Amino acid sequence: MKTAVYFCSCGDNITERIEFERLKNELSGHPEIAYVKPAGFLCAEDGKEFLRNDLVMERPDRVVIAACSPREYEKAFMQVLAEAGMNPYFLQMVNIREQVAWVTPDPDEAREKACALIRAAARRVALHQPLEKKQLEARTEVLIIGAGPAGLKSALTLAQAGRKVVLVEKTPVLGGLPVRYEELFPNMECGPCMLEPVMGEILHGEYAHNIEILTLSEVTDVAGYLGNFTVKITQHPRYVDTVRCIGCGECIPPCPVSVPNEFNDGLGARKAISLTFAGALPNVPFLDPAACLRWKAEDCQLCLKACPVENAVEFQDAEKIHERNVGAIVLATGSALYDCRNLPQFGYGSIPDVYTSLEFERLMASNGPTGGSILTAAGKPPESIAIVHCVGSLDEHHKPYCSGICCQYAFKFNHLVASKLPGTKIYHLYKEMVAPGKEEFSLYRHAVDNADSQFIRYIDIKDLQIRSNGDGNVVHYRNAAGREDSFHATMVVLCPAVEPAKGSAKLGQMMDVSSDRFGFYEELHGALDSAQSRVKGVYLAGACQAPMNIQKSISQGMAAAGYILSELRDGKKLQVDPVTASVNETACSGCHICRFVCPYKAISYTADGRTASINALLCHGCGTCVAACPAGAIIGNHFTNDQILAEMEAILQ
Amino acid sequence: MTRFEPKIVGFLCNWCSYAGADKAGAAQTPYPANFKAVRVMCSGRVDPQFVLQAYAKGADGVMILACHPGDCHYKEGNYRATQRHRILLRLLKQFGIEPERCRFDYVSAGEGEKFVKVVTDMVESIRSLGPLQPTVAETFPVLIPVD
Repeated sequence: MKTAVYFCSCGDNITERIEFERLKNELSGHPEIAYVKPAGFLCAEDGKEFLRNDLVMERPDRVVIAACSPREYEKAFMQVLAEAGMNPYFLQMVNIREQVAWVTPDPDEAREKACALIRAAARRVALHQPLEKKQLEARTEVLIIGAGPAGLKSALTLAQAGRKVVLVEKTPVLGGLPVRYEELFPNMECGPCMLEPVMGEILHGEYAHNIEILTLSEVTDVAGYLGNFTVKITQHPRYVDTVRCIGCGECIPPCPVSVPNEFNDGLGARKAISLTFAGALPNVPFLDPAACLRWKAEDCQLCLKACPVENAVEFQDAEKIHERNVGAIVLATGSALYDCRNLPQFGYGSIPDVYTSLEFERLMASNGPTGGSILTAAGKPPESIAIVHCVGSLDEHHKPYCSGICCQYAFKFNHLVASKLPGTKIYHLYKEMVAPGKEEFSLYRHAVDNADSQFIRYIDIKDLQIRSNGDGNVVHYRNAAGREDSFHATMVVLCPAVEPAKGSAKLGQMMDVSSDRFGFYEELHGALDSAQSRVKGVYLAGACQAPMNIQKSISQGMAAAGYILSELRDGKKLQVDPVTASVNETACSGCHICRFVCPYKAISYTADGRTASINALLCHGCGTCVAACPAGAIIGNHFTNDQILAEMEAILQ
Repeated sequence: MTRFEPKIVGFLCNWCSYAGADKAGAAQTPYPANFKAVRVMCSGRVDPQFVLQAYAKGADGVMILACHPGDCHYKEGNYRATQRHRILLRLLKQFGIEPERCRFDYVSAGEGEKFVKVVTDMVESIRSLGPLQPTVAETFPVLIPVD
């Protein structure tokens, strides 16, 4: 075994403390080291050229580079080894700059320490295995779950880059929650106005052929890993053919059944066959079998008879199971509102005219149950409105986090009420107030400057109580100064905490994506990789990861698309890093301990449960399972027991 | 009589404590040369038997320096490391090895000063404890498979 040592003087940074000739002499007595050569700046282009040429000439079996921290140039020197025809993993670096020369004032101590570390590296590198990056074929198609702003923009970005996208949406319509809002903060743009062009592109635009839209659909099974997922999607019948239907809506008025409209949060009614709301896309009604008389053994055909297109209404439509193969998955399942019934002091659900913010959005929407007029349940415009901020947010008994968006839509409500019903008294009850961003102050200013608006700060949500007095509602409160008082409010709007959408935990489990303690999907890193889950190939976009506004959701959707475009490209094979763990199957006792310590779900078991196997693509190479395995059956490649022990023992000699 | 110079080996994780040691270097803050590092990708890789082997091969003290709670590059390797360290201390007690000889601590990538402090403290505390009695450590069997 011929081991070469290259000593970088780093200008004078290293040789100032460690004299090369004496170090060389002291290392010369060690048979495992074939030669020690100095260099000026190994990291410079001419330094790397020297190293490359010298490796070609000397043909050592292993290389030790004593220089700066491996955290800086290890990858670059591995590249040089590869260019010189060597296996790049036959390198071990010794950090004699940051961890010796710069921290050891005494030259003798510095030299001795450097010698010990170089000898240890030589012992270790002799045991290095020639590792190879494996290459795997990868699919480039993408599954996106959720067609809100994040999912839509992610889908469109990928489709524009030529990617095939399967967009799965559980409701009959695209656009998520914001498409139902009359206006959006901070600029009072109308929700449909903002999203319809995006949805138009997705449905009928230049790249629409790259996007398969599956509405009324749910992902029911996921198998595989980055580059190679197999997904099962259950599509519930719409009973209206999306291709044949021309969207005239003639089928809707004759329908004799009325049910509460869940797309208006239960306010107002819809027919058994209906559009969710005027302007909903795709512009194709859906038939609700839970409401339709045909499913109650009546032979009603009024919608079919009203339809001017042959075979557009199809009662025989049935559930379909689709199977799709994709390389990556984007979770964009959005958020929901905390159930206000958990705060009984507001009487939500029992006292009239107590609304959630979503219901109030629909009351203000021109395609909502009142055509955009703000009216009480009795059909009268309110004289006063109480807007309660922080309902369940910033509250240890409910949701400890700030939901971030509520203050801003509350100011938007203030603005809309003031313009639709001038003179209406508006009370804001808030715990904390936030309006970060460069535009958000504007609506805040409007609310604060409005003579009809009043701001009351409270400390604890328990200090608020709403009672109905037959003539509207009375809000009792204790303010932050401890003073108790009350006021009359015809309407109460609650701004509940934002929480993950229903069913997101179950969906996450399907692909081993973990949820944080609040139920949001856990990101790989809060700042660096918030649009990546901890499972390779599964990305996060929008409020399924944390409460966030539309702008951030859309940015995350595009960030997810960016990750995918970078990771999965046509013709590009996936590189599998060999510094991962692998199982010695004959030694594995099947105890499953490794499976529980792996943070990446990279370890699975054979069908009989007796032998572990590690998916190298999912393994991040931390080595926790290696240390945990009681049978010593797991090998931490490039950090094997014998390599680590050889280095450690040499250090101690 | 010459001063006792303890031999101390430290397992540093690539992402936090090793980077913290580099930060001490970049700031040129000196610390005793008695401490020598073995780099691992994660403190979760540190098999307790590495520590026992270190004593068997002449270490007077062993350090495991990890990312702060919540900062682990691999999510939770540092939690595994701290759990193993606690159990290891109970084992060492049975062998009569003082708990000071096996120190676990958290050092972030930015904490060059903390790195210098924990290392210097360790060297001083082992210096005052004196050398590990070799007869104790040499009885450790090598249970760990070397491939």
